[in-house]
Amino acid sequence: MEREPAAAEEPAPPGRRWRWRRRRRREGRKRTVRSNLMPPPGAEDTAAGAAKGARRRQCGGAQHLADNRLKTTKYTLLSFLPKNLFEQFHRVANVYFVFIAMLNFVPAVNAFQPGLTLAPVLFILAVTAFKDLWEDYSRHRSDHEINHLGCLVFSREKKQYVNRFWKEIHVGDFVRLRCNEIIPADILLLSSSDPDGLCHIETANLDGETNLKRRQVVRGFSEHVSEFNPLTFTSVIECEKPNNDLTRFRGCIIHDNGKKAGLYKENLLLRGCTIRNTEAVVGIVIYAGHETKALLNNSGPRYKRSQLERQMNCDVLWCVLLLVFMSLFSAIGHGLWVWRYKEKKSLFDVPESDGSSLSPVTAAVYSFLTMIIVLQVLIPISLYVSIEIVKVCQVYFINQDVELYDEETDSQLQCRALNITEDLGQIQYIFSDKTGTLTENKMVFRRCTVSGIEYSHDANARRLAKYQEADSEEEEMVPRGSSLPQRGSIGSHQSVHIMHRIQSTKTHRRTGSRAEAKRASMLSKHTAFSSPMEKDIAPDPKLFEKVSECDRCLAVARHQEHPLAHLSPELSDVFDFFIALTICNTVVVTSPDQPRQKVRGRFELKSPVKTIEDFLRRFTPSRLTSGSSSIGSLATKSTHKSGSSFLSTLSNNSTLLRLEERLGQPTPAITSNGYSSGAEGWSPEPAAREQEPERELEQAQEQEQELRYEAESPDEAALVYAARAYNCALADRLHDQVSVELPHLGRLTFELLHTLGFDSIRKRMSVVIRHPLTDEIYVYTKGADSVIMDLLLPCSSDDARGRHQKKIQSMTQNYLNLYAVEGLRTLCIAKRVLSKEEYACWLQSHLEAESSLDNREELLFQSAIRLETNLHLLGATGIEDRLQDGVPETITKLRQAGLQIWVLTGDKQETAINIAYACKLLDHDEDIITLNAESREACAALLDQCLHYVRSTSPCSTPEKTMDNMSVGFSPLGAPSTSTTSDPSPSLVIDGRSLAYALEKNLEDKFLFLAKQCRSVLCCRSTPLQKSMVVKLVRSKLKAMTLAIGDGANDVSMIQVADVGVGISGQEGMQAVMASDFAVPRFRYLQRLLIVHGHWCYSRLANMVLYFFYKNTMFVGLLFWFQFYCGFSASTMIDQWYLILFNLLFSSLPQLVTGVLDKDVPAYVLLTEPQLYRSGQHMEEYRPRTFWLNMADAAFQSLVCFFVPYLAYYDSDTDVFTWGTLITAIALFTFLLHLGIETKTWTWLNWTACGLSILLFFTVALIYNASCATCYPPSNPYWTMQILMGDPMFYLTCLLTSVTALLPRLFFKALQGSLFPTQLQLGRQFTKKSPKKFNAPKETFAQGHLPGEMRTEPAEQKSVSTSGPLSQDCTLPVSWHTQQPSCSPEASGEPSTVDMGVPLREDTLLAGLSSQTPGSSMPEEAVLEGCPGDSKRKPTSTSRTTLLSSIFNLPTFSSLNWISSLSLVSRLGSVLQFSRGSLQMDKQDSEFLPSAPQPEQDLKRADHGLLLGASSRDCS
Amino acid sequence: MPQMKRTPQDCPSRLPENTAVKQQQLPACRLQLSATGILSGFFATGVFCLGMGVILILSAKSSMEIEINYTKICASCAKLRENARNFDKECTCSIPFHLTQTMRGNVYMYYKLYGFYQNLHGYLLSRSNSQLLGTDVKDVETCAPFSKSHDGTPIAPCGAIANSLFNDTIILSYKLNSSVHIQVPMLRSGITWWTDKYIKFRNPSSSNLSSAFAGTTKPPSWPKPVYELDENDPGNNGFLNDDFIVWMRTAAFPTFKKLYRRLSRTQHFIEGLPAGNYSFNVSYNFPVTRFQGEKSVVLSTLTWSGGHSLFLGLAYTVTGAMTWLAAFSMMAVHLKLKGKRFSPDDKVKL
Repeated sequence: MEREPAAAEEPAPPGRRWRWRRRRRREGRKRTVRSNLMPPPGAEDTAAGAAKGARRRQCGGAQHLADNRLKTTKYTLLSFLPKNLFEQFHRVANVYFVFIAMLNFVPAVNAFQPGLTLAPVLFILAVTAFKDLWEDYSRHRSDHEINHLGCLVFSREKKQYVNRFWKEIHVGDFVRLRCNEIIPADILLLSSSDPDGLCHIETANLDGETNLKRRQVVRGFSEHVSEFNPLTFTSVIECEKPNNDLTRFRGCIIHDNGKKAGLYKENLLLRGCTIRNTEAVVGIVIYAGHETKALLNNSGPRYKRSQLERQMNCDVLWCVLLLVFMSLFSAIGHGLWVWRYKEKKSLFDVPESDGSSLSPVTAAVYSFLTMIIVLQVLIPISLYVSIEIVKVCQVYFINQDVELYDEETDSQLQCRALNITEDLGQIQYIFSDKTGTLTENKMVFRRCTVSGIEYSHDANARRLAKYQEADSEEEEMVPRGSSLPQRGSIGSHQSVHIMHRIQSTKTHRRTGSRAEAKRASMLSKHTAFSSPMEKDIAPDPKLFEKVSECDRCLAVARHQEHPLAHLSPELSDVFDFFIALTICNTVVVTSPDQPRQKVRGRFELKSPVKTIEDFLRRFTPSRLTSGSSSIGSLATKSTHKSGSSFLSTLSNNSTLLRLEERLGQPTPAITSNGYSSGAEGWSPEPAAREQEPERELEQAQEQEQELRYEAESPDEAALVYAARAYNCALADRLHDQVSVELPHLGRLTFELLHTLGFDSIRKRMSVVIRHPLTDEIYVYTKGADSVIMDLLLPCSSDDARGRHQKKIQSMTQNYLNLYAVEGLRTLCIAKRVLSKEEYACWLQSHLEAESSLDNREELLFQSAIRLETNLHLLGATGIEDRLQDGVPETITKLRQAGLQIWVLTGDKQETAINIAYACKLLDHDEDIITLNAESREACAALLDQCLHYVRSTSPCSTPEKTMDNMSVGFSPLGAPSTSTTSDPSPSLVIDGRSLAYALEKNLEDKFLFLAKQCRSVLCCRSTPLQKSMVVKLVRSKLKAMTLAIGDGANDVSMIQVADVGVGISGQEGMQAVMASDFAVPRFRYLQRLLIVHGHWCYSRLANMVLYFFYKNTMFVGLLFWFQFYCGFSASTMIDQWYLILFNLLFSSLPQLVTGVLDKDVPAYVLLTEPQLYRSGQHMEEYRPRTFWLNMADAAFQSLVCFFVPYLAYYDSDTDVFTWGTLITAIALFTFLLHLGIETKTWTWLNWTACGLSILLFFTVALIYNASCATCYPPSNPYWTMQILMGDPMFYLTCLLTSVTALLPRLFFKALQGSLFPTQLQLGRQFTKKSPKKFNAPKETFAQGHLPGEMRTEPAEQKSVSTSGPLSQDCTLPVSWHTQQPSCSPEASGEPSTVDMGVPLREDTLLAGLSSQTPGSSMPEEAVLEGCPGDSKRKPTSTSRTTLLSSIFNLPTFSSLNWISSLSLVSRLGSVLQFSRGSLQMDKQDSEFLPSAPQPEQDLKRADHGLLLGASSRDCS
Repeated sequence: MPQMKRTPQDCPSRLPENTAVKQQQLPACRLQLSATGILSGFFATGVFCLGMGVILILSAKSSMEIEINYTKICASCAKLRENARNFDKECTCSIPFHLTQTMRGNVYMYYKLYGFYQNLHGYLLSRSNSQLLGTDVKDVETCAPFSKSHDGTPIAPCGAIANSLFNDTIILSYKLNSSVHIQVPMLRSGITWWTDKYIKFRNPSSSNLSSAFAGTTKPPSWPKPVYELDENDPGNNGFLNDDFIVWMRTAAFPTFKKLYRRLSRTQHFIEGLPAGNYSFNVSYNFPVTRFQGEKSVVLSTLTWSGGHSLFLGLAYTVTGAMTWLAAFSMMAVHLKLKGKRFSPDDKVKL
């Protein structure tokens, strides 16, 4: 309990609260938790009876610490009204309407009955309040349900665990949880039924990850043999204040004797998770209720404002201006009118009560205010309500779309943000993650290289091909479903109580029937990453042979002194490679049917090495005698307090004894090494004996079901499955040991000393193990090749071994590049053998790092870096991540729809480029600009260069001032020109480091300008932060609508920054989904979501908003014109009830129906003609021009609707309100007809709505006019409607007016439709022509063009028109033109180069590069390449790839390096080679083009006037 | 996550229902008119409007209307009335006119005011419906500024509308021959809405009308109290006076006419008003020149489509003509495009 010792017992609550506050400030960032069972310090001497305990419990309930009661309700019964109103008045619109209503209460200006104007406002407020109330009530109900879940809490009185409700749990309580129970609060794990003190939890409710996470008992408590007794718990826990960081928990536990032990997130069980595979655990509550991390993370739904709404708000402001103008006009008019009649004493004059008449000015002011009230309809109160309704319906329909339903994962699209649906129709930029978004994130082991030898795994490739076929043929038959079970909003408290995991007991074999297969796939879902495709790997026979050989050799040699020494280095590498694959991960092995219950007597006191002493005890007697003293002194120097004394207190004699026994166990190597102090020496036999029951059990299981690997990342699972295919199966993983099953060797148990987890900065993970065969300490590291290669032990080229090793490294690097080109994900595997001394040394610092309370992460990071050096390369793996279904098609469609797609990935460049090719993001026909810079200056220079190149090839639209500085003699080297017409824009590839420079303030404009010109942009090796920065940049600088789509936690920031965030509910958990506005099951659904639903939503809403403005303006116009005939006295001819109800009741329904259901173009046309999407991007439906046209039409219509009846009833004896009723009816008819013209599809719902609208008006009018003779002053419309309906004039006028009002609109629409049809109209026309049943001609539609396609849409015309002439007389590419003559002779001389195939061309280019002398030949050649006058190129070259890749990273050269530019038309033909200068290319490896770095280039470049900045030149 | 509750067996998929509404697949007719469709629509509308226009014009022509503006004719009276102090002085004037044609059928006599704003905001509000309903004669709350006289007596009928009651009396006389003038029999009844006369307006219940209005005073510009409006006919007196009721139904525009009398078709006037010489004898009470207003008296017959106004007919005709014009121009465009571009069945899009 967090209580101050002195204050704890004080019974005065009011003072206490204050005191708490003060103390909190003093206390800072720590929370202290004590056992509730303990008498608090200072109270021990007083009698601590049961009564006291009870009282304390009450006190505990009243203290400031949150109890576990969940209260998500916003209101109480009392606070509801004020609080809700307060919140509602945060909307400006509401305030405005209330202001208007209040104005009406001022006697001098009241236009209506005061109460009446309040009615709509109150109505709106009441509806909203009711909605809030209902939501709050449902929250309350779910809160109640959760609060009354039961759980076992230790009771002081009963001295046992008793059942309590969740809400009764307090901080400091001891809670006992059983398997599959949900954790009620954040609990510090103190005891587990697991002998190792482990506990597995599933965090699916927090982050959606279904793999089991391991938690362990607080150090020092795992040693308890008997059941944990809460009464004996006397320690004090100090930890952080509650925070929402799920991945972090720090603290320490202080025992009675003053000893401290650190607490980490591994000790904490988070609320909302589920206990798995563990029989029972006990823990103490640290954070409860709203202070739990789960609830702190649970932020409410997001509120975004869509672009359309922003635009609308702007137009609302225009309306306000219009309103003010109208009122002002009217006020002035009234002033003049009053002035004119001032002296006349006319009979109709209404003087003040004292008989004097108002002065014109006063009258004008009053009139102004009254007019504002009268014309308030101009600001549509119902618009906001209607928009909300329409959006809710749109969201509903999107959710209901069958075509967005994914059968595999059984999930449909979720709209998480309710109010930005129309933004989907206006997206201009898509930022996509690659892994898991474009690809399936199903990692399949494809090939590997070990010790420099490549194993191509052809059989495996064939197998995968088969899957692909099966996929395409019969998708449902393949139980690929390996994604997560259904989950809704995870982490929200509402879902906490419903978490009965589907415990499947069946294997998912392929069964005959489709339904079976589907079910099976669903059943297997809860083990992530384990579809058969990922599991069944066909081993490469060569490698398999080698592995078997290793196995056999070792089985024979295992009893010899150095078993591994008998292997050849290569075989040794192979063996290590597979061991590393198997154990260098965090994969948990489970057999899901039974919770883990292992009764193992062997390692009772075993854990990763936690203290120096522990380490010493394990190793000292035999090996470290020499070094022991020094280490011992180290240990005493260590500030870490949990030294031997701690150990001794915890371990009584028996544990010490066991410790001794354990120390005797290790491996035969030790035994043979002379160490025999243990009771019975270790030999394999007893081990085998001991393992027998376990193995039998497992074998029995295996017959039923194979072991299940639960991995955190799909790569890990893929590698483990790959190793298993080579009979090197991960059999068991405990927190301190890993068992590997080998056919001959049997089960090898590795003692797991440390696991240094993966992080995105280090990009690698390591395990530290003790090898059972050699008893040496090994570090296995697995990580990205870029980092691992740098960490390798530098091998001297002196001895043969070193040379060999170096060769292996370069070979491996080659293969890695090959893999990358194939689009495989590469991982390097390396190992390091540590001597005991080294290890001890490292351990010392590591332990310090681990136990430090402050910057533990930082220290651990440093520690890991110290360990992972001087590695020995074992090999590398290539894992394939298959593209998701339909990704290329989707990207093509989205492209056609005018969307720019940027891929931001953390993957390496080659992989990313390859995937980009595979998914048609890059085209072989188009240029690729590659931007790799290692310094800021280089980046700037490259950007300029690229910009120049882009400008020279594509229209130079915006001249840039910087061009003058660099244009002289600077031409796009090595950039083959492309004809501007056929291929307007290249693609840009940029790596993470260059991106970092490009995103800096001074370069971002250039970068953006360049990127804007590019057809697609590929950012590789980008960090999550960079991703979000890119999105932010595009969003803010280009003012474009952006959409970010991703599936993993690394995409969250990008998703949050973008206008629209889309999460893929894929395999990487739910963080992305939680952060997103829309969650789709697969990437391909984006197509329909954007092109169909986005378009619809936008078009519907835009039209509805426009209609609303039209309607209100037109209606207000009627009132305004009337002012000319009533002396601008602000009187209305329309009955005030009609005025109020008109928008709310009579005319609202049809437009809602249209707003919800109208489909301007049917879905299939939208999908076949994606360019229709551009209408939304260009805001064609709702732009200022349309708005004002709309307003003009409204003005015209109001003129017609006013003056036709006016003239018709001029010189008649009609009275004001009869005429007003007529006007109302006319307005209604006109509105409906107008809507009829605007509605594109008429369903029975539209008809009904319109009919209902008219019916409602007449019914209401008739009833209203018959209800009371005198109740409705001033109009007193008794029997008006009845009289009116008996008059043929009424019908005649209605008919004429409506027709006349709408004729022009109809006429112009028809004319425009036939003369200047928009794309959408053509699309509509297309709909009509094409038959409804739409099956076979799909392809032709996709290929064919619209009839009117030749006339491009306006935007395109614009761009063409600007580009055409400009490219001729553009001022910018001056250098270009000046250089042109120089190129022409050479160009004519080398036509063959141009005509030749692509690889050859690259060769010649490279040859030119390598043979070039420092002179001017290079630019000439380059210009030749890029010469626009070379007409022959255009038809012949099938692929033009430009690579402006400059690499500045080489310490020796550090200059611009022209690396190959290549086409990947034939992937083997040429390979992108990024100069890693230190690595020698294997010359005989003809697949790789040698890319000799060109140091001279630097000079040459300087000659050519390119100022690259000092740094790069200095280096040369 | 309600789905997770279910066991796999009965776990229905989340497959959304494939219904027409939910999939937005409702059968719909697209408002997509072909060129022929829209052109024929335009032509049809044009035909209808033209036809309607002709009918309306003919019907309006068939009605007769005579309007005689007597503001200037009775200039002396007008001058007299401009000074409010002369309110109690009688002034009559006679306006002779000649009817060239017999006005057949029911003839209605209107008075018409120009520039009189009965639709002013404050004016409209200044009335007391409950007083007029007779429930509470003294309920004058909403009548400001004409709610009470100077001495605090409530005004009946109160309010600006009642105060400004049109109080000219117009008598039409027919010159049977050079010497004999007979008064054309006119009915004062039936000129109001039935509901006004019998539901909205009621005299306070009392044996005697004057006692019913005891404790109230006449509006300031009235010469006599409300219960003396028509002393001959008790059913037409007090609030139930037809002229009063007609006046209380406020006109929509500053220029308006109000029904004053209707011809009683007896004796000579069974057919209507025969052609001949007539004269209006106006007792000129209502001052209009003060605010540059005008007044006239109108004799009119009605047809099914309203009065003599030609506007509606003309409007229909013009609209019809415009529609045809539009249709022709569209046809021209269509034919031009048809030759130039698309397939013959090219459509005009909406």
